[in-house]
Amino acid sequence: MSILDLTIKEIHEALVNKEIKVSDLVKESLERAKNNKDNAFEIILEEEALKKAYELDKLEVEKDNYLFGIPFALKDNFSTKDIETTASSNILNGYIPLFNATVVNKLLDKKAILIGKTTLDELAMGGTGTSGHKGITFNPYDKTHTHLIGGSSSGSAVSVSDAITPFSIGSDTGDSVRKPASNAGLVGFKPTWGRISRFGLFPFAPSLDHVAYFTRSSFDAAILLNTLAGRDEHDSTSSFKEVEDYTHFDEKIKGKTFALIKEINESIKDEVLTNKFNELINKIKEKGGIIKEVNFDTKLLNAIYPSYIVISSSEATSNNANLDGIKFGPNYGGNTYQEVMFNARTNGFSNLIKRRFVIGSYSLMRENQQETFLRAQKVRRLIVNRLNEILEECDFVIALASPSVAPKINESSDKLSETYLIADNYLAMANFGGEPSITIPLGFKDDLPFGVNITSKIFSERKLLSVVSEIEELTGLRNLSTKTYKREDK
Amino acid sequence: MNFEAVIGLEIHVEMKTKSKMFSSAPINFSDEPNTDTTYLDFAFPGTMPVVNKEAVRKAIQMCNALHMEIDDELWFDRKNYFYSDLPKGYQITQQARPIGKNGYLEIEIDGEKRKIGIERLHMEEDTCKQTHFNDYTLLDYNRAGIPLIEIVSLPVMHTGLEARKYVEKIREFVTFSGVSDGKMEEGSLRCDVNISLRPYGSEKFGTKVEIKNLNSIANIEKAIDYEILRQSRLLFKGEDIIQETRRFDEAKKETILMRVKTDAVDYKYFTEPNITPIKLSKEFIIDAINSCPELYDSKLNRFLNDYKLERVDAEILLNNVSLADFFEEICKYSKYYISISKFVITDILGYLNKSNLEIKDFNVEPKYIAELIDLLQNKEVNSSQGKEIFNHLIKENRSPIKIKEELGFTVISDDSVIRNIVTGIINKDSSLVTSFKNGKTRVQGFIMGQVMKELKGKANPVLANKIILEELNK
Repeated sequence: MSILDLTIKEIHEALVNKEIKVSDLVKESLERAKNNKDNAFEIILEEEALKKAYELDKLEVEKDNYLFGIPFALKDNFSTKDIETTASSNILNGYIPLFNATVVNKLLDKKAILIGKTTLDELAMGGTGTSGHKGITFNPYDKTHTHLIGGSSSGSAVSVSDAITPFSIGSDTGDSVRKPASNAGLVGFKPTWGRISRFGLFPFAPSLDHVAYFTRSSFDAAILLNTLAGRDEHDSTSSFKEVEDYTHFDEKIKGKTFALIKEINESIKDEVLTNKFNELINKIKEKGGIIKEVNFDTKLLNAIYPSYIVISSSEATSNNANLDGIKFGPNYGGNTYQEVMFNARTNGFSNLIKRRFVIGSYSLMRENQQETFLRAQKVRRLIVNRLNEILEECDFVIALASPSVAPKINESSDKLSETYLIADNYLAMANFGGEPSITIPLGFKDDLPFGVNITSKIFSERKLLSVVSEIEELTGLRNLSTKTYKREDK
Repeated sequence: MNFEAVIGLEIHVEMKTKSKMFSSAPINFSDEPNTDTTYLDFAFPGTMPVVNKEAVRKAIQMCNALHMEIDDELWFDRKNYFYSDLPKGYQITQQARPIGKNGYLEIEIDGEKRKIGIERLHMEEDTCKQTHFNDYTLLDYNRAGIPLIEIVSLPVMHTGLEARKYVEKIREFVTFSGVSDGKMEEGSLRCDVNISLRPYGSEKFGTKVEIKNLNSIANIEKAIDYEILRQSRLLFKGEDIIQETRRFDEAKKETILMRVKTDAVDYKYFTEPNITPIKLSKEFIIDAINSCPELYDSKLNRFLNDYKLERVDAEILLNNVSLADFFEEICKYSKYYISISKFVITDILGYLNKSNLEIKDFNVEPKYIAELIDLLQNKEVNSSQGKEIFNHLIKENRSPIKIKEELGFTVISDDSVIRNIVTGIINKDSSLVTSFKNGKTRVQGFIMGQVMKELKGKANPVLANKIILEELNK
């Protein structure tokens, strides 16, 4: 087994014990990135990463810095100075930012090594990992390339599940980290809205956007939060709330209350998944956890997806109005400013993006706003209120992160079944209210992973990660990747 | 005339803050294009707005000057439209909840005071500056993001004169509070006029015409007067007024059609998601109000009552807040307030006008001006000597007492010395007394000239005049 297959914590120990040099670690990471066939990278930063690694070789490994020399991948919708950043959209081809996103600076300050930027659904709008300008991103658990990995943080999910890097950064507006984490057998964590600065994250829908990330253990997720959390003067929505030591795990399952939302459970028909979930619930009970079944309100759950589409598309159409071919990105010419904008946006965006802009624009129009955008905002408030009510009574909401394992590429659709409306979209409720929410691997079906999601009150990350670490012991799937997974049929 | 004009004004004021409304880029009007910018001003993806506290303080000061209700929570909205001067594709403004509402200001026409109601005051950001050429356009992002306040009056004015007085009052507020330079010709104060006509007694508004691109306060009045005439002629002919935007042509003194308004643009306003509502504490609001520099009316009161200036002089000084400030600086060093006011208005302002300079270019320290005025008041120098010292002072900015010593200026106030000279002149030419007694007062000046000549201009003129009269009347 390679040291690169380990968690951040374990790799760090290996570095401290001089079992491996940073440069060897990074070389292997780059090798794996180049050999990966899942279309995970927009760009691999071989030269820059190696240069950095050799510099770190000369330094003493910082014992109190878990991220020293750790390779990582970054979703290509984070601004990186001097490195092309396209958000997998043709409208940003050739755009080389002048500044780093705050999270990038924080990771580089910790001497983590950026080895590449990963593919996404165009401009992070999508949940399939199929709509980026480089085409479909595949699931590394399926070498036949028939199953998708999900999105929008698709390449970042590949990078960690194929053990190219022990962590990667993504963004989560509806479930864009937590859903692919389920499909890829990963820990996918979205802390509270405002806990991590969004400065430098290309906005999709700012009121819903979160910096989120993939790791292979809850402890690694805590390590990252220690580095990434905190007030940033460039993001006035970032919280002043004090940053805690999130790796200090002192909370246990015993005595905690877990809410099971009846409608979500009932909407999931796949018995392999539900059995595995019930098994976990029983183990939690055995550990002294209290299970409480609650009704959320079917109407509200059914309204999550339409509200999400209206709000996110409305914000998106405005946020992306800066992409007009005038200041940056390809210029397709034109005799008037209208023509320049029209040509850039006609050629630069795919039809899926235009569809969202039309929905957003329609919802914001004066004659529709009351009935669509503002109504969606009201519904959002009701959903958040209901979720917070439940979180007042219970410590956590726990449910399967997805109604199925990763769907086949051609079978993913927007059909409005009960399963689709509720189980496939409920994760967005934590984007509505900004609650911390984490997906961890739960099991496998036909050699494809699936996960369980746990959500808690805003700014309760430490308690959440602490308890999730004990749940990891119950699932036995800590540090899962294609390198550590033993196929059932073997 | 049978029609009543209904006029409302929208005024945009560029705020004089160190940095922009939502970015940390500096504001310097003389800088090279596209140098006062940061990532946000170009709308690079991932940049986020951070509200400028100083701009909020200034907006609060204006709200207070305009007797407005001040919202204790700040909310911002996006106004969405595509235009080449709008980097983000939307402007951040305050549509739903302006920081100030329901205010008024007072204007005075023919000694009669009138309250003009103000609907709202809100903060927003400026767009970038476009310079159009034949086949291309240059964009300067230095202006993009400069803080603006927009002040919207109620449609309650009826004449060009009222509108002019209203704008003058707004300009006075913004310049005295230091909120803005308030220069219409440079665009730091911009005014759009909405005007419609209706028959007297009618409650219903007529069709509204907008006049834009007015670059001076005088033109506001002229444009409105012309527009009232134009619209009433049309109405008399039985024609309809068309809802349109017009501009004022200075040469022709007419308003000219720019574009006919079709359906009003839908700006798809919604709450700016990157700025969560900001609660303004009572202390913050009170502190902003208390730190507002003194406004015109209060200064005028003080100039009249504390310094006992003549009204016309006080008003001249207060025409320019920097000049008024300079006057007050001098008053810290000398008690001859009225003389100081006269000196500032006649000598300093005269010099500045002649040299085409502004008060900020005047490099003489106030204490030296005070020193010079004391010399004059104490008759240690006479006025012609004073003028010469002033000429040196402008160039050298150093103590007038030293200049006086170096120039050897003294004033002869010795009664017997002057009387000797005067009697000598009268005795030499007895016709002088006869002419004087026949009413030729010129004689007095002639003798004064002779005395000054004799004493090389150093005679105390007041004393000399007294002696001349005494001797002639003997």
